[in-house]
Amino acid sequence: MTNGWVDIKNADVILAMGGNPAENHPVGFRWFLEAKKTRGAKLVAVDPRFTRTASQADLYAPIRPGTDIAFLNGIIRYALADKSRYHEDYVRLHTNGPYLIGDAYKFEDGLFSGFDAAKGEYQKESWGYNPDAKTKAYGVDPTMEHPRSVLQLLKQHVDRYTPEMVERICGTPKETFLKVAQIVTSTGNAARVGTITYALGWTQHSTGVQMIRAAAILQLLLGNVGRPGGGVNAFRGHSNIQGATDMAGNFEILPGYLKTPTSAMTDLHGYLDQSTPSTLNKQGWASMNYFVNYPKFMVSLLKSLYGKDATKDNDFGYAWMPKVDGNYSWMYMFDDMYRGSSMRAGGKEPGPEGFITFGMNPVGLGPNSKKMIGALSKLKWMVVVENLETETAQFWKAPREYEGGDASKIQTEVFLLPASSFAEKDGTFTNSARWLQWKWKALDAPGDAKADQEILARIFLAVRDLYKKEGGALPDPILKASWAYTNPANPDLGDVLKEINGRALTDIPDPKDATKMLRTAGQQLDGFGQLQDDGSTMCGNWLHSGCFTEAGNNAQRRVTADPTGLGMYHNWGFSWPANRRIMYNRASADADGKPWDPKRIGIQWNGEKWVGDVPDMKPDAPPGTFGAFIMLPEGVGRLYSPVLNDGPFPEHYEAIEAPVKNALHPNVTSSPVSKRFSTEHDKYGTVDKFPIVCTTYRLTEHFHYWTQHHLNGRLNEIQPGFFVEIPEGLAKERGIANGSQVKVSSARGAIQGVAMVTNRLTPLKIDGKQTWQIGFPIHWGFGAAEGHRGPLANMLTPSAMDPNTWTPEYKAFLVQVEKA
Amino acid sequence: MSATPTVGHRPVDLAVVAARDRENVIVGNEIVRHRRASRLIHWSVSLTFFVCLFSGMPIWSPIFGWMAAFFGGLSAARVVHPWAGIAFFLFSAVMFFHWLGEMRFLPSERDWLGPKALEYMRYEGDDSEVGKYNGGQKLFFFATALGALGLLLSGLLMWWPSAFPRVVLQLSYLIHDVAFIAFAIAIVFHIYLGTAAEPGTFGAMTRGTVTRGWARLHHPKWYRDVSGDDGSRRG
Amino acid sequence: MVMQSLEIRRSSASVWGIPSGIRTLPTVSKYIDTSTCIGCKACEVACQEWNDLRPVQTTQTGTYQTMPTLHPEFWNLIRFNEQNYDGGIAWIMRKDQCMHCDDPGCLAACPAPGAIVQYANGIVDVNQDLCIGCGYCESGCPFDVPRFHATTGKMAKCTLCVDRTTVGLEPACVKACPTGCLQFGTKDDMVVLGNQRVAQLQSAGYKNAALYNPAGVGGTGVVTVLAHGNHLDWYSLPADPHVPILTRLWKHVVRPLGMVAIAGAVIGAFGHFTKFGRKEVPGSGDSGVQPPPA
Repeated sequence: MTNGWVDIKNADVILAMGGNPAENHPVGFRWFLEAKKTRGAKLVAVDPRFTRTASQADLYAPIRPGTDIAFLNGIIRYALADKSRYHEDYVRLHTNGPYLIGDAYKFEDGLFSGFDAAKGEYQKESWGYNPDAKTKAYGVDPTMEHPRSVLQLLKQHVDRYTPEMVERICGTPKETFLKVAQIVTSTGNAARVGTITYALGWTQHSTGVQMIRAAAILQLLLGNVGRPGGGVNAFRGHSNIQGATDMAGNFEILPGYLKTPTSAMTDLHGYLDQSTPSTLNKQGWASMNYFVNYPKFMVSLLKSLYGKDATKDNDFGYAWMPKVDGNYSWMYMFDDMYRGSSMRAGGKEPGPEGFITFGMNPVGLGPNSKKMIGALSKLKWMVVVENLETETAQFWKAPREYEGGDASKIQTEVFLLPASSFAEKDGTFTNSARWLQWKWKALDAPGDAKADQEILARIFLAVRDLYKKEGGALPDPILKASWAYTNPANPDLGDVLKEINGRALTDIPDPKDATKMLRTAGQQLDGFGQLQDDGSTMCGNWLHSGCFTEAGNNAQRRVTADPTGLGMYHNWGFSWPANRRIMYNRASADADGKPWDPKRIGIQWNGEKWVGDVPDMKPDAPPGTFGAFIMLPEGVGRLYSPVLNDGPFPEHYEAIEAPVKNALHPNVTSSPVSKRFSTEHDKYGTVDKFPIVCTTYRLTEHFHYWTQHHLNGRLNEIQPGFFVEIPEGLAKERGIANGSQVKVSSARGAIQGVAMVTNRLTPLKIDGKQTWQIGFPIHWGFGAAEGHRGPLANMLTPSAMDPNTWTPEYKAFLVQVEKA
Repeated sequence: MSATPTVGHRPVDLAVVAARDRENVIVGNEIVRHRRASRLIHWSVSLTFFVCLFSGMPIWSPIFGWMAAFFGGLSAARVVHPWAGIAFFLFSAVMFFHWLGEMRFLPSERDWLGPKALEYMRYEGDDSEVGKYNGGQKLFFFATALGALGLLLSGLLMWWPSAFPRVVLQLSYLIHDVAFIAFAIAIVFHIYLGTAAEPGTFGAMTRGTVTRGWARLHHPKWYRDVSGDDGSRRG
Repeated sequence: MVMQSLEIRRSSASVWGIPSGIRTLPTVSKYIDTSTCIGCKACEVACQEWNDLRPVQTTQTGTYQTMPTLHPEFWNLIRFNEQNYDGGIAWIMRKDQCMHCDDPGCLAACPAPGAIVQYANGIVDVNQDLCIGCGYCESGCPFDVPRFHATTGKMAKCTLCVDRTTVGLEPACVKACPTGCLQFGTKDDMVVLGNQRVAQLQSAGYKNAALYNPAGVGGTGVVTVLAHGNHLDWYSLPADPHVPILTRLWKHVVRPLGMVAIAGAVIGAFGHFTKFGRKEVPGSGDSGVQPPPA
């Protein structure tokens, strides 16, 4: 979230799209209702189904799964059609709307310039700004009338998304769409603010990132980014998924979203050179480009990894860091596993032979379950660290329909290590609002179950002992790793949090006052502003720095005072970065530092410094010194983003499995850069055999897979089993009665469950053709409690994914439905 | 040596005892009115009725809450009541069929619904044609049978309140109440007439016999039929 | 178990209907805003957890609703209902539970002294010690709430968490509610809150929004905000709940009359005896009474 949960109460308009917060985030949803009750805010729900959220909405608009970009681009077009519908001053001041783009950038017939058809990738050189070769300055047209200005290019790009086209693609009736557009753009001014909330209903598409981009563009146009009650707010799917991502949950990032080095970056200098952005904006006000501090973040990370062994002379141990060349995202990993060869080496090297899975259930949650099971069967060994015997831990027991084959032939040796559950350990949860909140252990883990850190530590120590005893090909990354915990076999998570926060290793003089020390050796740092690139500080994650200072564990703070009245609660937990509650909050004020809306002050300039929230700005830099988006080299928000893998502007592409050709460019129906796979399990269905659009989702009663409710009879009680939601018309057509058994099949498999016939799903007219859509929740599996077993929903989902995040396309695919 | 059987110190006339197994026969000075089986049935009905009464009345009104003490409290009374009710109904059913043959209404007895009953209570009128049972007794017989059935049916509904619509239940409570009230009033008179008001009657249900005089007084036609004494012959 | 014997306003089957408590307390109420209920069922689980009710075996039959109706081990049920409304859908989610009527039909129907009590603060509770499990309350309740528990042989229903509210806590369901659609406080406050919300809904276009606090039962200890107050059937709420007339007839007319009638019969028999005496065999030595056995 750019903003926070509580901040939603400050919104005048809430667009809930690509998510069903009432279902999946019921506790946070109270702030939606707060906004409705206290401000008369309008809630607009756009969803394929009439959801629990829709039941609370002032306006509900149906939409076909996977067509959100068309819908959002339609709203952007609507906004740009009239200056009263977008916040022009904001756009001029805080976005790259006035910037001029080079002539090489083009969009034609569904393809952006630079498409390399052979690789299925874009070469992004042509997308850049148009800088002067010498000064590196590039053109800016404050009137935003220049045909190559971002705003005009955007206008031109979205011009095709007329309300009629939106209806044709999305199935949303034109009148309903226009009502939504009218309500959403009512915030395109200084007086009003709107927020957009989304979740996995956007992320899990082959165009997921661009859906979110479209929302960000819309919010920048409306002037809603950085303002209380505004922002683009992602609701994370798990209680600590935000923390996991922050701490390098993905292969391509290190803690704090630093980049994973590749083998081409042979030394620290080269790595830092390529990773540290140079300031682009040489005109107007300057960009602060805070990422020039990248070396400080990286060196401090290296110091935390390798301790005393990391010295200036050895590049702070940079050489010991793993270099990652291939793609180790979920589906590639399992593809490698399944095929037994590594994509990274062009298919020449053997694939992984072992697999350690912690607190997750790949067989349940990966797309295309048969392939998941097939992949695990090819391993030599697998370690599952779980508190229950998940489908992954017993994958060879999968029922016949999963085609796991003869269990006696599967050689995978499986180790199930009992782990404690969330209530049996302390530590922090980082919520969607980026708040680190400490939680205390509630009870002891049963039996031999151990906390994650103990399991990890013991494995680490055992492996290190082996290296010590037996040596090895490359022992240093292990032997030099710093493991300075009070109890090495079971590190205290307070110790770990201190390490993440970072501390001074030597005395650090105060640059402003030579008589003082900024920090003395051993002191916890106050924040990432004190990090150094000379090895005098260490920090496990610069972004979290400030969470455990000399004042103590700030994640444990529980002060409910809120002087802002806007629900910022600065002394509750710790919000990264720098305890800032609203990101980009400089954009909540105008050129003079005056808030757009004096009743909802993000920050404001008081003549000496910025006050309000923790400023997303140098605190004493007067208005006009730096651009509001300090982390971007341009210093302004990007309406046009030349860095993503699938285009600078969002464009509607159909899902990999779609019922129609792309109405805008039939020759390029799906994203030209989205990824597919080619094993015998990677089948993709077509509309002739699978004419029904399907989506998957969760229920509030279960939240997650059966692993959450298996031992809790009460949750099984309130939502006892798998079902398939089917619109009444389709049920009638196929002779399916409510409560009867129904079979749903896709190109990859078939599952069976109870039909829930409902009016909450309606047929949509897509490109003139009546199109049915159905959906089902994901919570069950063959490993669940007796009487509460159900099919793995992902038996049906395709191995297709977003080209930026490699997130699978769980939310839109094709199926057939029949009476079972 | 032949010994005369005794009960306590009293000798028992075995012939009389044997004779009491048959109804409508004369044994010495007495006439057997109710053989043992009849009496057993009557007292079974009577006993279960009183169990129902004492277990039901405390539920009916807290005024009779003390009656629950016979069963160990109200909860126990409420458990006993439906089962006792079933027993009561079953015995009533047996009784019904046992006596049904003797309870056929004669056309002449139709008056018992009205003036004849009052006349009877005033000890007036002509009873000379009254057989083994008078019209009032027959009326009581059918009324109790009907009452037992009403109590059973309404009681069964009340036993499974969850299984029936609320209005049906509410009606059941009302019917059970009304049936019970009517039953109770009838029983008061039944007991009164069978004990205090008509000496000799109670014995008909205990030892099973009545005297000739009693029979002549209350059931002259029956007496004539049993004794063959139509008044002209005396023997 | 009765929590506070001094705080009983009304007690079932008390002979003269006299309140047995001394203290007076402000009437409390639960506030349910169906227009902000998202049907998350946290209240269902909280109710079960707090009251230590055992999980009930349910099956998916094609609805989000946990079970068709309330259950002796399930006192708090969100009723889901999909209705066509304004060219779209209204997805109604209404928390069904004991309404804690001011004039409780269950209490009126209950035959066991003290088995159903109304506390001074208006909460209607089943006293498990005294309940005889007869089920009369089921017939008296206009909301179809009390359920017979086969294991305990007693009636079971929502207690408004009397064990929590007595010590100043809100009911478990209110504590668990994530959206704030459940509130707990004095009846007066909850009615004010409800009327405010109704006014808000009306100005937001729900012309028929209403606060459900039916006068037929003297008002309820659970006031419910309805966006579609003209469609009570959507919420499975009775339009005019009251203590059933048949229950009143039975308890207040037939029963006293019956007692009089039975007493009358006994007195009548005595009267008869005094006036007419025994009906004896006239003359002769045969009194009609059998001689003792020879």
